[in-house]
Amino acid sequence: MKLKFTKAIILAMVASVSLSCKKDNGNSRETRGPYVLAVTPVAATAVADYLVNASSLDEGSITTENNGLEQDGSYRYYVTHNNKFFSMLYGQSNPGAVTTYNLLDGKLNKVSNFQTETVQAFAPVNSDILLMKIPRAITNPLANWYRVNTNSLLISGEGTVNVQDLSKNGESAFFSWIKQVGNKVYAPYFSIKACCGAAFDTNFPDNAWIAVYSYPEMQLEKVIQDDRTSFIGRYFTDGLGLTENGDVYAFSSSVATNNKVLTSTKPSAITRIKAGTTEFDQGYFLNFETASGGMVITNWLYIGNDNFVVTAIEKAQRGAYTVGNRIGILNVANKTFKLAAGMPAPDQISSISANNYTPKNGRTAYVGVNMKDGSSYVYKIDAANQTAARGLKVEGGTIAAIQFLN
Amino acid sequence: MQIKHFLLLGLLCAQSIFSYAQNQPASVSGLVRTEAGKALPAASITLGQTTFGAVSDASGRYHIGQVPAGNYLLIITSVGYAPHSKKISLKPGQQLVADFKLEGRVQEMETVNILGRTASQEVNRQAFNVTAIDASGLYNTTLDISGALDRVAGIRVRESGGVGSSFNLSLNGFSGNHVRYFIDGIPMDNFGSSFQINNIPINIADRVEVYKGVVPMWLGSDALGGAINIVTGNKFRNFIDASYSYGSFNTHRSVVNAAFTGKKGFTVQLNAFQNYSDNNYKVRIEAADIYTGAYAPAALLPRFHDTYHNETVVASVGVVGKKYADRLLIGLTAGRNYKEIQTGARMVSVFGGWHRRGNILMPTLKYKKENLLKGLDVTVNANYNLGEEQNIDTMNVRYDWYGNSKPSGANGERSRSLYKYKNNNGLATTMLNYRIDAKQSLALSNAFSTFNRTGSDALNPTIAEYEQPKKTNKNMLGLGYSVDIRNRWSATVFGKYISQFNVNGNNGGAGRNSMERLGYGLAATYFVRPDLQLKASYELTNRMPEAQEIFGDVENQEANPGLKPEKSDNFNLGFGYNFRLNESHTFALNANAIYRNASNFIYNRLNNNQSKLVADNREGVRTLGGDAELRYGYGSWLTAGVTATYQYLQNMQRYEPGFTGVSVVYKDQMPNIPYLYGNGDISVSLRNVGRKGNNLTIGYNLLYVHAFWLYWPSRGGQSVNDDKKVIPRQVNHDLNVVYSLHGGRYNIGLEARNLGNADLFDNFSLQKPGRAFYLNLRYFISSN
Repeated sequence: MKLKFTKAIILAMVASVSLSCKKDNGNSRETRGPYVLAVTPVAATAVADYLVNASSLDEGSITTENNGLEQDGSYRYYVTHNNKFFSMLYGQSNPGAVTTYNLLDGKLNKVSNFQTETVQAFAPVNSDILLMKIPRAITNPLANWYRVNTNSLLISGEGTVNVQDLSKNGESAFFSWIKQVGNKVYAPYFSIKACCGAAFDTNFPDNAWIAVYSYPEMQLEKVIQDDRTSFIGRYFTDGLGLTENGDVYAFSSSVATNNKVLTSTKPSAITRIKAGTTEFDQGYFLNFETASGGMVITNWLYIGNDNFVVTAIEKAQRGAYTVGNRIGILNVANKTFKLAAGMPAPDQISSISANNYTPKNGRTAYVGVNMKDGSSYVYKIDAANQTAARGLKVEGGTIAAIQFLN
Repeated sequence: MQIKHFLLLGLLCAQSIFSYAQNQPASVSGLVRTEAGKALPAASITLGQTTFGAVSDASGRYHIGQVPAGNYLLIITSVGYAPHSKKISLKPGQQLVADFKLEGRVQEMETVNILGRTASQEVNRQAFNVTAIDASGLYNTTLDISGALDRVAGIRVRESGGVGSSFNLSLNGFSGNHVRYFIDGIPMDNFGSSFQINNIPINIADRVEVYKGVVPMWLGSDALGGAINIVTGNKFRNFIDASYSYGSFNTHRSVVNAAFTGKKGFTVQLNAFQNYSDNNYKVRIEAADIYTGAYAPAALLPRFHDTYHNETVVASVGVVGKKYADRLLIGLTAGRNYKEIQTGARMVSVFGGWHRRGNILMPTLKYKKENLLKGLDVTVNANYNLGEEQNIDTMNVRYDWYGNSKPSGANGERSRSLYKYKNNNGLATTMLNYRIDAKQSLALSNAFSTFNRTGSDALNPTIAEYEQPKKTNKNMLGLGYSVDIRNRWSATVFGKYISQFNVNGNNGGAGRNSMERLGYGLAATYFVRPDLQLKASYELTNRMPEAQEIFGDVENQEANPGLKPEKSDNFNLGFGYNFRLNESHTFALNANAIYRNASNFIYNRLNNNQSKLVADNREGVRTLGGDAELRYGYGSWLTAGVTATYQYLQNMQRYEPGFTGVSVVYKDQMPNIPYLYGNGDISVSLRNVGRKGNNLTIGYNLLYVHAFWLYWPSRGGQSVNDDKKVIPRQVNHDLNVVYSLHGGRYNIGLEARNLGNADLFDNFSLQKPGRAFYLNLRYFISSN
């Protein structure tokens, strides 16, 4: 009997407090649609990403307030393939995880969640997602790869590749990214000492390399080399672009370091591997610093018709992990670069999202622009007019990724 | 200085003139009984108009020592009894014996132990917001200190798993190192993993004092949110208390406490305890096959790599009751622990080989002397921990929850390591207390601590080259002044000056910093009636970053060298009221309200990839809360109680670094902090069951914790499909039955924990044990 009394008192207390709590489920704020935005609330720390659906990128607004699917942690990377949305946890030296969603009634629906290794590069290849865990210790020469089948959502194969017998220069190779080119996997890399309190330093700042692997066996077939630029891509950045005719373009930011100093003597530039060949086209060289009037390229997105939407930064401000706040359109056929008109002033921008969406129509890209005042917008970049226009407003966080599902 | 006379013009006690005429102090002791001759515990015995006093123990005995010779009025009061007083005259060195029988007031004849906290009531009467747990009532359980604390209003102990798992105690919204731990007033900050409140059994303690908010100065520390002081027993001069328990998940615990004290004051004290558990309870998890990724959203699987054991001996030798020392003890705390690490900060990261070892080897010195000079009490404590900790991660594999593993690179399971380190912790505290006169006293305390981590790793010898100095020295100096008009009011004002010097790394000035902070406060209490007490306190507190927070703990706490000291305005208001409805129904009600306004609030958050915790500052956090406890007693055979705590912590950081707009979580409730919880308990004691002198006690305890969000409450959808991370509501039922034979010499206890076999979580995804049973055997014998 006393038991009931005790419980009753507790329940009464709980009830009274519960009632005083806000019961606003915010259904009015819920948004649906085929576009998926990963939004990180502007609270420097202890935050999760929220995946918010939107019906349009051109207009309207979405918010993380009482809306969006909460992710476990903000060190997450996102990729869409086979009409599924993959959210990958970067667990550093802990296990990583792959969470898979599909689209159901305009909202993401979780279909699987399994643990993998924390990976530093991943890309769609055939009907798989290929994941790569890359060592950064000279004592460990093996990078692990995993093939995740996007139909069965199972790991369909795995293996290792040796990253210390690629350059054979006493350093370790670190893949900046991987990309399917034809039926091969291209893996551009930078050379790292992988040792001694300075893992990402190198004595080889003036070379570019791409390792070429067969698929699905992941046997090394060749290492393509060039000494006109520093390494291709950047940490966690896809430095390759594949055009409709099968040509591969590659960018270098010229950000190799040694003893915390930028050491490359080569300019930031674009090079090419012509379709059907596995050598750098020595007849093609686009000095980005010249074309842009003194900037280096920090990331790009291929939108079709030889056009890339590019983020860039003044050369003096560049760094191995510094991403530019300027957006421009680069045409690799005409070797032209022009900043997009209509972008906010770079000093008002906090960051530009690295993972953006294009319908690949040769003309349009949607890029997340996060302002220092805490507001964020999707900007629609028009390559034909070389303009940027403010589209969807995103409230309650910075845009980390923009993806699309059918 | 030598002679002081006081003429006291008290209305009732006009003739109680006393003097400090002689050096040799006297003492009064005796037995308090009811008219019927039963022992009366928890009676208050005081010398009128002085600060001397005592509370009778469970057998009705009291002792007031170190009283200057003189004439006094001895006053005995107890709830439900008519007060009694007697004039006494103490000669130098006299050991007066005075026994009393108290008459029940208006026919209230029953002795009622309404709190189950008898010996601790004296503590509760301080001006500070304090609760004391009488540990003796829990000796027949398998609780450790943290388990006992979890039943106190305002406290929530969050555990990450079973026996030996890491814990985080939250007290009125403050947690982690906001709350400091003490054992007999000595800070436990640097005791290492082998001797912590989650592995010290309750039987070691006589009582456990919980200071909420303002912490008395004699606990010399920079505690900001409160303090826990474990008071170990010296109730009996000679005793043996041994217990052993066995239960679910192959859990074995044993405790032996013993003391021997010779006629000449030579004493040997020994506490030894051991915990062992496989912790192989089943958990419900999202499992996936390590080879295929085949996904099982709600698999029920046993933990397979979670064995924990620790063994600790605390031994002291010395003297008590000497002219030069009331107590002078030299001791050694020696122990070790072994802990397998099953998961990271999330249950999805599972490990099968990673483990940790630690030991403690700590010489200690304790010295105490009251009236070293007239009115001057001196306490000195010192210790140095020579213990080592080692992090062992040597298997280059990845495990899944089915216990399968496969090779994965060359970097261990998390980070290949045999890192072994010493923290080289030292501590010295000195406390001087001077009684200016019968009402006023001055206290001066100083606490110095030092930390210097050195380590090496046999697997990564090159790390030694990059091993950076990690040192911190901290000193706290406090001065306080107290006035105490016994049973009317008392007040304390105090100031604390804290300085800390850190060295982090070799890069000269950048890695060195020193911080100085000044804090002060006031605590007061007023007795409206003998049974109605009001308390209020305020403190401007400063909390320095801890060595573990600055340098990390090599396991799950990441280093944050940039952590800033926290500062907070703390206000507390409370009352305690004892009342009864008629002769049988007795009640005690305690309630407290708190307000905290902290800047650079230090809190633990997950790092960005969710693998470790890291201490960080929030520019501002405001806390408003309250807790209440109601206890009820019916006759002498039934007690029951409820506690409830509510606290609202609000993020007051308006701007986030790098942004100029108002933060979207400005004024949002702080995430991942339990904010509404409570306990209920009921206990029935039946005397003379089976045969005379055998008692049966049946107790039930209910724990309720309201659900709370892992991340900011305002962000993200809250429908089921939105997958918002929540620590779900916890409702836990514990039941225990204790049968005591032969007046408590032999005890058999049976305990059922989590009777409902609920899935319980204190921390996101880290599931605690399900239903478990324990059998506890205890033997106790004492003589004085």
